[in-house]
Amino acid sequence: MAEGTLYEKYGGFSQISRIVLSFYDTLLDNDEIGPFFDDVDMSRIVDHQTKFMASLLGGPASYTDNQLRQLHSHLSITDAHFDELEEVLRGTLSQHGMTAEDIEVVIAEFEKRRPLIVR
Amino acid sequence: MTIEAINEQLLRAIGVGVALLDRQTLQFGFRNDTFDEWFGGDAQQTQLQQLFPDLDVNAMQADLTNAGRFTSEIRFKKKRRTLVVALDFTAAEEDLLVLVCQNITRIKELESMIDSYSMMVERNTREIKREKEQVEKLLLNIMPRSVYEEFKTFGVVTPQMYDPVSVLMLDFVGFTDMVASQDPSVTVTELNDIYSAFDRIGEQFGCERIKTIGDAYITVAGLPDPTPDHAKAIANTAIRFVRYLTRRNLSHPHEWQCRIGLSTGSVVGSVVGIQKYVYDIFGPAVNLASRLQEFADPMQITVQDDVANVLKDTFDLKSIGEKAIRGFGNQTIWQLSDSN
Repeated sequence: MAEGTLYEKYGGFSQISRIVLSFYDTLLDNDEIGPFFDDVDMSRIVDHQTKFMASLLGGPASYTDNQLRQLHSHLSITDAHFDELEEVLRGTLSQHGMTAEDIEVVIAEFEKRRPLIVR
Repeated sequence: MTIEAINEQLLRAIGVGVALLDRQTLQFGFRNDTFDEWFGGDAQQTQLQQLFPDLDVNAMQADLTNAGRFTSEIRFKKKRRTLVVALDFTAAEEDLLVLVCQNITRIKELESMIDSYSMMVERNTREIKREKEQVEKLLLNIMPRSVYEEFKTFGVVTPQMYDPVSVLMLDFVGFTDMVASQDPSVTVTELNDIYSAFDRIGEQFGCERIKTIGDAYITVAGLPDPTPDHAKAIANTAIRFVRYLTRRNLSHPHEWQCRIGLSTGSVVGSVVGIQKYVYDIFGPAVNLASRLQEFADPMQITVQDDVANVLKDTFDLKSIGEKAIRGFGNQTIWQLSDSN
């Protein structure tokens, strides 16, 4: 976890945990993306979101490209799904007071992973 | 509105699920709004087991008889969200059972998140520890442990005088020609094998290898910990270096011939450099060993007079007379041979 990451800037785990939970709530209520989590155990979804947020913000987690590809390989995720998640992410971050500039940095990180996730 | 009516209103609207049951039949008598919101479902189940099929009713009755209280936890899905509700049964008067339900979903979600986070952090900590060990191992390769400890604590190393120590300087005969005439990568691989063997031999006699410069190999006895028999240690090491090379030459196509010089004196040891640091030693003993080595014939060991005096009783030494040594004047020098 290098100094000066967004993860640090926005308060480390104690603050980011709020973003994660709020992201989790929004995601499950979303009828476009939510169904992907229909049969997934709660602790696994939370684990996934914690790591997701940490790796996008430069926190203490990073998936390799291969891991990401593998983890999503059984899901039929389309560009539309990916776009929708991007919107949810954008909304959550802005709701938690992240600056527009920083949000763009996170979204750019997120976009980098599109080819690994979308089939 | 009567007090009873107000009470009932409150009980209905409260954010905690409340229900009253008959202790014997486990039929619901009253359920507040929150309870119905969570467990209402389509069909109105009127009995506890219908609503919570997984609940261990026998355990519940036993706890209620013993302690008057029973707690449990149930999980269920509402839409796609897993809700976790804590159930708290209390036995009240006249076979009445009070059931209080608290939504602990958020707590469970937070627990999961803390689990996930602490696992990531622990994994990172393990990785950092491993990396630290690697760095330590590398640094210990270039400096003695006591010097490393000082370096780690203070970030600098104070040059330290070691007196007396014995220095061994080894150089290969015709190395430049060898590099030019043969595949350099083969030469370097062989050099690496030989230096590794030298390191192991030196270690046996308590010598600290200081550095190698191309085909020159320098090792010291009596540093960083003083050793009374540093001269013997260095002589033993030198003899084994020659012995090792002789044996190796019998079975390898490339022959390696060395010259060795042994001297005694004081040296200063310190870490040199800031970005690219090396541990090095300086002092007359180092220079003298280097000069003495030049006087040696191939596969021979040349020894300074002072060292020879110490070794005479136990080692095979032969005087090769007085020589003019650059920077050290005229000195009697000796040849050390393997008595075996």
